[in-house]
Amino acid sequence: MTENTLITFANVSRFYGEVLGINKVNLSVPPGITSLVGPNGSGKTTLMNLMSGLLRPTQGQISVLGVPPDHPEKLGRILGYCTQFDAFPKGLTGWQFLYSFLLLHGMSEAESRQRAAAALERVNMMDAAHRLVAAYSKGMRQRIKLAQAVAHDPQVLVLDEPLNGLDPMARAETIALFREWGDKGRHVIVSSHILHEVDRISDQVILLSHGYVVAEGQIQGVRSEVKEQPMQILVRCDRPADLAARLFQQNHVVEAKIHGDGRNLLLRTKDADSFYLLLNRIVLDSGLDVESVAPADDDVNSVYQYLIGGEGGTV
Amino acid sequence: MAVYKKTYRPYEGRLTASWRRLLVIPQYAFEDLRRSRFLTVFYITTFIYPLICALIIYVQHNASALRLINAEGAQRLISINVPFYMGMLGWQSMLALFLAAFIGPGQISPDLANNALSLYLARPFSRVEYVLGKMLVLAILISLMTWIPGLLLFGLEGYLEGWDWMSANSRIASGLFFGSWVWIPVLCLLALALSAWVKWKPAAGGLIFGVIFVGQAFGAMVNHIQRTSWGYLFDINYLIGSIWVRLFEGENPTTSGAVFFRAPLGSEGGAPPLWCSWTLLAGLALVCLYMLRRKIRGAEVVR
Repeated sequence: MTENTLITFANVSRFYGEVLGINKVNLSVPPGITSLVGPNGSGKTTLMNLMSGLLRPTQGQISVLGVPPDHPEKLGRILGYCTQFDAFPKGLTGWQFLYSFLLLHGMSEAESRQRAAAALERVNMMDAAHRLVAAYSKGMRQRIKLAQAVAHDPQVLVLDEPLNGLDPMARAETIALFREWGDKGRHVIVSSHILHEVDRISDQVILLSHGYVVAEGQIQGVRSEVKEQPMQILVRCDRPADLAARLFQQNHVVEAKIHGDGRNLLLRTKDADSFYLLLNRIVLDSGLDVESVAPADDDVNSVYQYLIGGEGGTV
Repeated sequence: MAVYKKTYRPYEGRLTASWRRLLVIPQYAFEDLRRSRFLTVFYITTFIYPLICALIIYVQHNASALRLINAEGAQRLISINVPFYMGMLGWQSMLALFLAAFIGPGQISPDLANNALSLYLARPFSRVEYVLGKMLVLAILISLMTWIPGLLLFGLEGYLEGWDWMSANSRIASGLFFGSWVWIPVLCLLALALSAWVKWKPAAGGLIFGVIFVGQAFGAMVNHIQRTSWGYLFDINYLIGSIWVRLFEGENPTTSGAVFFRAPLGSEGGAPPLWCSWTLLAGLALVCLYMLRRKIRGAEVVR
């Protein structure tokens, strides 16, 4: 993948006076949906502001598809940004908000009109287009912010807490939009506190803590790298006690618990690959009837707990 | 690694000129101002003085009109000359100060309060363009009150008096234009800087008056106590007036500035040199720019 298709951070640090924002971040973000996960104050918004050109790094180099963020004329054309704050100029209707900001992009009036209408349609806000943004509900304001971020059809979408305040229906629709944009080969960078949704939508995650990148990549890959935490695997079979007894003969299996209706066996193993090979052999040897085998902790929530834990406040 | 359908195509149409993008900010600001009845009425009243001036010019050149109002001698009473135009500019510029105090504080502070700066600056729109766009709101409105009616009045007098009068008094036209453009940037920058730093609008408006009138009072006090003229350097109105006098009259001025913008001739101890006025106004503008630079940021810096 070339630099023109990646968002790259090379040894980037940002300090606010004495306070650390992010430190020595090295990243390469490919297209698709990338979620930024971390506790409050971990540096998610700083990272987003840096790639949007709203902050300058104290040191290091950033490139957004080959464009340095200190070139607003170029960057603004390829990037759409949705802040986590309720950010709106005073006294504008939803329509005026989108239309005027498209004019700021340098699009003609006709083009701006057409794109504003398309963006409003996209987020189901046509009916409320001519009402003042100040009179919108929280969910509507969130949707109109998303509409302004995508109205100019950017290649990179930076969305800070975009699911906050949305009702379940709007949340599902918004996630579907992220999926669609991601599938088109755009970069969708999302920060969210809602870990099970991050799990559902992300192609890759970036875990941050205290301004450092703790892990990055596809979540299964990240999980497999966390060697010090034994992998949890849930096996559903007809004789879980027998299976547990045979598995305990191996060193890498450190814990086994029978769960639920007596057919679920939750195992913790230090070597998942060896475990799967062993399970195959046991099934062949003993005629065990296995219904399902699934990893139980290769999701964002588990990885988050292992790498960051409860140290950083709310998630 | 996922395989993506490459259906994304960026916008490749023609772009408008960057100066046209600046006009987007005034466009919506004017709509917002129009909703305030007070500001609309105030702004309309600011045109009364130029209209009276136009009437005076017209009547002075219309003998039958003068006879009708039994004022055949009026031509000798009111001369259409430098003090006439400078007086109009002074009066209008003072009204511009009120206008800036009313609408200036509402330019930047709401964007800061609503976190809207990131919306502007995450686009092909720089901090400089943002400030210029906001300045345009005030500059357009003040221009319509100052140099534009001034030049129209000059054109009216020239039309009625003839080309000779126009060429002999061309300095009045340049004085109106450049004199206004000394006051407009200073006033706009002051209003915007205070708007960026003082969130409570009445306080920001009051501070604009404070900077002008407290400085004037302090300068007068210094002059009185120290028996000097250097106190004028604290008086922005004096600084502007002293520059206007030179712009309208050249090296040997015969007037002492305009109403509200006095630059007394033959001050005790000698008036401060003109370069002091230019330097201090430039310094004030730089301080305002620095204040704006500190506040106009895409993301609020948390310390």
